[in-house]
Amino acid sequence: MRITTTRDKQRSFGRLLVALLAVFALVAAACSSDDDDDAAPATTAAADSGGEAGDDMADDDHDEDDGHDHDEDDGDASGDDMADDDMADDMASAACNGGQNVGGTLIIGSTQVPRHLNGTVQSGYATAVPGTQLNASPLLYDAEYNPMPYLAHDWDVADDGLSVTLHLVEDAVFHDGMPITSADVAFSIQTVQAHHPFKTMYAPVTNVDTPDEHTAVINLSQPHPAILLAMSPGLLPIIPKHIFDDGQEMPTHPRNSEDFVGSGPFRLTEYEPGTIIRMERFDDFFIEGTPCLDEIVMEITPESTAIVLGLENGTTHLSSTLGPSANVLRLMDNPDVEVSAKGHEAIGQINWLEMNVNDPALSDKRVRQAIAYAIDRDFLSEVIDQGITFPVPTGIAAASPFHNPNVNHYDKDIDRAKALLAEAGYGPGELQLSIDYIPPAFVVQAEYVQQQLEEAGIEVELSVSPDFPTWAQRVAAGEYQMTINQVWNWGDPVIGVHRTYLCDNRVGVIWTNNTGYCNPDVDALLNAAGQEFDIDKRAELYAEFQEIVAEDMPIFFLNTPSFWQAYNPAVMNPPTNNIWGQMSPMHEVWLDE
Amino acid sequence: MSDAMGRGEVAAADLPVAPGLGAGGDGGSGRPGRETLRLFVRNKAAVAGVVMLIGIVFMTVAGPRIYDNDPKDIVAIPLTGPGELAEARLGTDYLGRDVLAGVIGGGTTSMTVAAMAAAMVLVIGISIGALAGYYGGWLDSALMRFTEFFQVLPALLFAMVLVALFEPSMWTISFAIGVVAWPGIARITRAEFLRLRNLEFVRAARAVGATDWRIIRKVVFPNALPPLIVSATLIMGTAILFEAGLAFLGLGDPNTTSWGLMIGLNRGNFLTAWWSVTFPGLAIFFTVLSFSLIGDGLQDAYNPKLRGR
Repeated sequence: MRITTTRDKQRSFGRLLVALLAVFALVAAACSSDDDDDAAPATTAAADSGGEAGDDMADDDHDEDDGHDHDEDDGDASGDDMADDDMADDMASAACNGGQNVGGTLIIGSTQVPRHLNGTVQSGYATAVPGTQLNASPLLYDAEYNPMPYLAHDWDVADDGLSVTLHLVEDAVFHDGMPITSADVAFSIQTVQAHHPFKTMYAPVTNVDTPDEHTAVINLSQPHPAILLAMSPGLLPIIPKHIFDDGQEMPTHPRNSEDFVGSGPFRLTEYEPGTIIRMERFDDFFIEGTPCLDEIVMEITPESTAIVLGLENGTTHLSSTLGPSANVLRLMDNPDVEVSAKGHEAIGQINWLEMNVNDPALSDKRVRQAIAYAIDRDFLSEVIDQGITFPVPTGIAAASPFHNPNVNHYDKDIDRAKALLAEAGYGPGELQLSIDYIPPAFVVQAEYVQQQLEEAGIEVELSVSPDFPTWAQRVAAGEYQMTINQVWNWGDPVIGVHRTYLCDNRVGVIWTNNTGYCNPDVDALLNAAGQEFDIDKRAELYAEFQEIVAEDMPIFFLNTPSFWQAYNPAVMNPPTNNIWGQMSPMHEVWLDE
Repeated sequence: MSDAMGRGEVAAADLPVAPGLGAGGDGGSGRPGRETLRLFVRNKAAVAGVVMLIGIVFMTVAGPRIYDNDPKDIVAIPLTGPGELAEARLGTDYLGRDVLAGVIGGGTTSMTVAAMAAAMVLVIGISIGALAGYYGGWLDSALMRFTEFFQVLPALLFAMVLVALFEPSMWTISFAIGVVAWPGIARITRAEFLRLRNLEFVRAARAVGATDWRIIRKVVFPNALPPLIVSATLIMGTAILFEAGLAFLGLGDPNTTSWGLMIGLNRGNFLTAWWSVTFPGLAIFFTVLSFSLIGDGLQDAYNPKLRGR
């Protein structure tokens, strides 16, 4: 009896060992996947712009304002009649309500978590909002895409379009007191060229000459109409060469977030990643009499609900990350909060349904067109988003001068969708597709598209990725059928539009050509438009490009989500007065308290 | 010990059974089972739990037949309040889907996931606990260190990693909950087995030549059942909460409505549309509460110290 027992013991122990091993293997797998997740952001670092698709925040390109527009001239800005269309000229005298309102702390609520604060090597809203307070750029932009003097008081573009000369202000200094010189401009441009994810932005730059300390000559290999826009605050922050030119890798340089030495109106005093960014006024800022504020504090929270409550009870002054449409509508009803759709026009962000044209089913143009006919983008904007987003039929946002509204809109037509599917050989229920997305940002779009496609007889499975890197890797590697994505125009099509269509831009990075779409005609049009200075001729080239893309349908454009800004009425000169919104210095913002 | 006394011939009825409640878990045909039932019924809170649970199960099973709105269909204007529309009595969510249909349909998912997860927890927990408690010694030490390894991992985080590792679906979610929630059951089982293994009736079984497997199955396990039944009931509640937690964090199966998923997806609209979060929240609340009350009632009913009170 004893012997039997022992043998049984041994047998059950063997069984147990197998089980143990299995569970350990499982745990090991889980842990190694954890490592993968940690490693992922590094491999997709260039692509992750944090803000580009990170949040369901809002924006709008239309100037519809529902009567909530706040115009700083409504207030009696010191009573003078100065023209405000050129704020640079009257900056010194009109700034901060004629110098009367200097001081105060502006509290900005945001859901966007920056990776670090150096905008020369990191794109995206999360970095650009604090980054543009901390670093100055050669140029500013007004609400009409007009360049304005900033670090460069003057600039000339050569007649042949092959060089741009910047004349820098002479008394500008970095936060450590060192002068800002043309060498720093040249270094910043080289850094952006080498490390910024927007390769097209400075690709034509051959070299930067620095004939003297305050003159920088940017030489180009071809005419580059986007070059001036590429000198916007968020796209070309001027960083100190004497700090960064020490041989360390720029994307991981410790000074990107520690002991930050910038060139902008505010200097960094506290940075708690993912929690708070505290920036104090820089007294030696080169624009006399500014900044008006003593301090800007960015409070970062993952919950837009907390931001809405903060705006309602006055503890948050300004935010553009308001969450779902219902939150925006709720704030609009609040007399103590101003809500505006203005500002951020240049971002031109578009939510779209991206289709992998290398997928066997989706390689058939008729299938992609059927999908387009099955979806009612107007219903999505008008009913589900309750007018907080705007339908857009094309990949160049409506606020851009190159937008072509006359492409095929694919107004909802279920019969046509079914007919196209039948032509392609799919009866009702015979086509199964999946949509990849990251919750919660794109839940509404994904679930709505699923609903609509099922109406047309396409079975759709939703597939969520647990985090951004997982999704980005899948999409960038082309391991998907359809995905909901948000991609930004970034002011000029050369910067934000070309990248998603060019045949040779299938480089395995998110927000490049992830559909696998390739049309030589489109390439030719884009390359021509990218070198054309004449705005009308450029517009013609882009108009034809948009028609071809609408016909080929690699991407179904859904809507322009809103970058609605909500702010306390005490905030004067809120960042609704320029095409970059909060991605522009707030040195003229003051508090009427 | 003769050869005739093979393992198969030791019938269950021949084996000594602990006095009191041994057969209680086997079907309640004996007197002790009836006594347990009587004690349970006397507990008003426990009965309320049973009534609640029957109601919820009825709702999830028969509900979709009676109330035929599909939880995934857009039926009305988004974010309409409860009572405003005949087609969506409890209001609509951010996409215009019926919240009532979601609560009914979500119940099926939540209950299924909870049941599958609880089953997995019981299988893993009881196996490991029984082996450790019965054999003791170094096997016990090894198994308990292994259990502790799982016990010290933050359960929800660990479950998130598991779900994220695979695609979120009902199966992977049940699996993840099962994998993280078993240590408690394992420890209870082990404690019971440790207590029982050297009692006289177990020794007697060993003396008549029963194999270990048979002793574990027929002698020790039935006597260890009462606390396990209580824990299993509570595990159901925990599993529902886990499922809700995972779905809330965006790791629910996006293709099937569940209560946690509804709360997670609608929470951004909580300020303006309380109903889209509140009703699935109440459903979770009442379900977990009912399991909890039933568990408490069972514990009291099984507790010999409370008998005859």
